Formats: sequence, structure tokens, C-alpha cells
Amino acid sequence: MLSKRAGLWLGLIATLGLLSLGSSCGNKTETNENAGSSTEKVKYSKGDEGTISGTIAYTGAAPENAKIDTSADAQCTSKSPNLTAETWIVKDGKLANAFVYIKDGTIDGKKVDEYGWNAPTGAATLDQNGCHYKPHVLGVMAKQEINITNSDPTTHNIHFLQGKNPDWNQSQPNGAAPLKHQLNTPEQMAQVKCNQHPWMKAFIGVMRHPFFAVSDETGKFTISGVPPGKYTVVAWHEAATGPGTEKTMEVTVPAKGSATADFSFGAAAGLQGQPSSLPLIAVEFPMLGKH
Amino acid sequence: MSKGVHRFALLVAVATFFLIIAGANVTSHDAGLAVPDWPLSFGKVFPQMVGNVFWEHGHRMIAATVGLLTIVLAIYLQVREPRRWVKRLGWIALGLVIVQGLLGGLTVKLLLPLWVSAAHATLAQLFFLTTVSIAVFTSRSWTYAEPKIFEDDNGVSPRTMCVASLALILVQLVLGATLRHSALWNEHLPTGLLVAHITGAIVVTLALGVTASAVLLRHRDEKFLTRPAIIALSLLFVQLLLGIAAYVTRARSPYQPQPLNPMISVTVAHVACGALVFAATILLTLRVFRVLRVEKRTVGVLATA
Repeated sequence: MLSKRAGLWLGLIATLGLLSLGSSCGNKTETNENAGSSTEKVKYSKGDEGTISGTIAYTGAAPENAKIDTSADAQCTSKSPNLTAETWIVKDGKLANAFVYIKDGTIDGKKVDEYGWNAPTGAATLDQNGCHYKPHVLGVMAKQEINITNSDPTTHNIHFLQGKNPDWNQSQPNGAAPLKHQLNTPEQMAQVKCNQHPWMKAFIGVMRHPFFAVSDETGKFTISGVPPGKYTVVAWHEAATGPGTEKTMEVTVPAKGSATADFSFGAAAGLQGQPSSLPLIAVEFPMLGKH
Repeated sequence: MSKGVHRFALLVAVATFFLIIAGANVTSHDAGLAVPDWPLSFGKVFPQMVGNVFWEHGHRMIAATVGLLTIVLAIYLQVREPRRWVKRLGWIALGLVIVQGLLGGLTVKLLLPLWVSAAHATLAQLFFLTTVSIAVFTSRSWTYAEPKIFEDDNGVSPRTMCVASLALILVQLVLGATLRHSALWNEHLPTGLLVAHITGAIVVTLALGVTASAVLLRHRDEKFLTRPAIIALSLLFVQLLLGIAAYVTRARSPYQPQPLNPMISVTVAHVACGALVFAATILLTLRVFRVLRVEKRTVGVLATA
């Protein structure tokens, strides 16, 4: 007969064992909170949509990106011998990889959230190339499929960190079939990292609507198909540390017209951001929420 | 008393120390989820050791080795050890290492929840305590130590002081483990836990400082006691310096593109030295319990009777 103490130990071990097995068998159910059911909401289709475009400037001397030590993986060193971080992609005072999106606003007297937009049927692509994620900043709609590919001659590990969407951790050897994933809950910004190469990270803006863009290497962005209305536009950049920095401004998009929203980041920028048609209303605040 | 059992127990304790270092490296390299499956690694026993897989799978290999060594130790004790309570300690060590292995699996399967990671790090120290204790109990010095009378002069006894120090060190180790696992290398450490860990360092310094000093002052001729006391104090001093260095290097880490030295090496050294302070205090405590017998002053009572 087992003594009471031995029984207690066996019980504890069995419980932990079952927990381990149970956790390996069960798939996490992704929450659908706040995703918004586009089928139940009003659709906007008057044909008088306009655009919001602008430039993201970096004022002051551009910070130098730190060099990355790839010695832990010879394949990374071979493919990208001089790899650097991608925090600051600045060229001629213009900043790439800023995620610009409509945060709030009114269309025909109704809030943006009262309208529904279908997620694109085409998948967005997140590639692992040169031991970096390409693109470094990506925008998708909630429930839009993300196609994850590996163009490197090494195994990567794709880890969507838990924010408003659940954790998701998969490995992908070189030559493996693309992985499919989707984020069901709007989130600015979801973070992706590689647990094998800890310098690899990407940021994904998950939106309930299609009104977002990422600034290119010239700092320019264009958000098209925007219904006429008044909007709060946000420009987000990952910043040197933490969950990133945001700048906001109000813009008005006329019917079949365009509005300009120029933002500035950088030490010398202060509170900047100049809509072309409205007085400056821009507030800078660090994002306090953990993504 | 088998010399072989003691040597083997010592081997298990040393292997456990290296396992703690390997585990600390996993955390500092942010390699905890480099291998997404468990118990196999990418479905294999020996995957390609590339990038952070080296640290995570290396930790698993050392852990498996320690697990096997613990099974052998438990059986070895049943065969060669005459004392029932030491035999039982062998089974306890085996139970702990199995639970520890399962907790390690849970950290992977549940994607590093704080409570599991902190429990895994804490149980590592408790398992270390057990293996060090078995090594002490099976040693010749333990067996042949002469118990001596220590008169209680109504002060706090060295036994109480040692147990209190040991408990405080364990709490401090748990705080440190929770602090380490509560933020990734690219995030700032939570202020509340950081303050608690620094406060814990002060409390442990005072407690262990007083305890070891009391032992050194009262029993300066007993090398059996003074040696672990001196070792504990020396390690504590090194540990405080390592703690300051770990804080300074960790504060810079969120601004780096990846976990880098010296943050990694200093932090791992801090974890390792913490385990050594714990081991030295276990040794001191067990030896104090072995040779110091507490007796109340009864001379006056006897005289009047």
C-alpha cells in the first residue's frame, strides 16, 4: 500500500503530467472580441471616397541602427554579414516603417466603428529573409490571412506575442510550406518575434477597417478609399524601446478629395504633424499598453 | 557509510548546479520558446543546434542527464545507505526532478506563463537544496562530527538564525526568478518587483551576515562550522557585486537589438552565485544542526532542587 505522502507525490506528478499532455493536445481558440461583424454593419459605397496621404519626417540626426551579432547562426552570417537593427530607417530626413491609420472619426454623422468592411480575400505576406522579417511593419485587417514564408537557409521560429490576440508559436524550417495565420482581434500593434534569432521582430497593425498604410523608404504613405468625413489619424513608430510612440492629428477628407497628414518623429520634432487644411492638433503620447 | 554514495551524491549536486546555469542561460538568451515542442525538440532527440536552439535543447539535455543521475542516486541510496530517512530523501529528489521536468514542459506548452516559469525556477532551487543535503548527509564529515553542547543564553540560537537565513535566501531566490521572468530582455524590469528584490538583498545580507558572524564569533575554533560560514559570507559579498552589475547591464538591455554580453554573462553569474550562496547556507545550517545541541540553563534549578 502506498503511504499518504507517496500518494500525494504521485497525485501531484500525475496532475502536472496531465496538464502537460492536455496543453499539447488542445488548440487555443482565438478570441473574436471587437473584431466586428462586417455582415451586420452598414457598408459605405457611395463612390465618393477620397485619400489621406502624407510624409513621415525624421527631424534631427538619424540614430544609427545597432549592429547585430549573428554568430549564433552561420547561415544568417553568410546571408546577411552586416546585419543591423531596423528600428530607424531614415533617408534624407524621411522615416520608413511608420504605421499610419484612422483611429476614429465620423462618416455621415456616424462613427467609423458603426460601418463594416470585409477583410480582403488575399493574404498578406510576412517573409523571413536575411534573418529579418519582411516587411518589418505590416498592416492587415482582422481575420485577414497572413502567409508566412521562410526564404532563409535556416530554421526560423515565428512567435506572435500575446496582446489582444493569443500567443502563437511555430517553427518553420527552410523549404517548409508557408504557414497560415490570422489575427481576429484589432490590435495596434501586434508583435512578432523569432525565438531562435532574438533580434528578429515585426509589428503588425490589425485593423477593423482598411484605412491604414505603412510609410515607405521616402517616408510617404497613402490611404485610399476613405469615405468623406472627419478623422483622427495616428502615426505609430516602434521607437528605440518599449511598445512604440504615437502621434495623432485631425484631418477632414472631402468627397472625392484628398487630405494631407504630415508627421514628424525624432528628438527635435516635438509635437508635430501638419494637416494641410486644418490647424495643427497633434498630441504625442507614449503607448502605455503592453502589446 | 559508502564513500561511493557520497561521491555520486556530490556529482548529482554539481550537475544540478550546472543545470541551474544552463537554465539561466535559456532565460537570458530569450531561448525559452526556441523549440516549440516538448518532450522532443522539433520531433527529434538531437536537433540541429542553431541559434537559440543551442541553449534550449542544451538545457533539456543537461536536465535529462540530471534526471537519469537522480534515478541512479535514488536506487544507489536504497542499496547502500543504511539510514531510512536518507533513503527517503533519494525518492524525494527523484519526485522533485520529475515534477521539475514536467514544469519545464509546461513552460513550453503554455508559452512561458509567468507563474509556471517562476515555479520552474523556484523548484530548481528546492531540488538543488535536496541534492546538496544528500551530499552533506552522506559525507564522512557529517557522519563523524561530534555533537557538542551549546548553552542557550536566552539569545537567538544559531539554529534559528540559520533556518531564518535559509528561508530568507529562498524567498529572495523566488523573487529574483519572478523578476527575471516578468519582463523580456527588451522590456524594462517591473519597478515593484525590482524594489522587492533589492530590499530582499538587504534583508538577506543582514540575516546571513549576522548568522555567519555569530557562528564565527562563538565557534571560532570549529572549522566544521567556520568554513561554511566564511564561504557563505564571501559568496554573499560576490553576489552583491554581481547583483549591482546585473542591474546596470540589464537596464541597458531594452535599447539593444538582441540580448548581449555583458548582460547575459553577468546575469547568469548572478543566478549561479545565488545558488552557491544558498548551497553554502544549506551546508552551514545542516552542520549547525549536527553539532550544536541547544540546552536551557538548568544548573540553578538543579542546585535548588
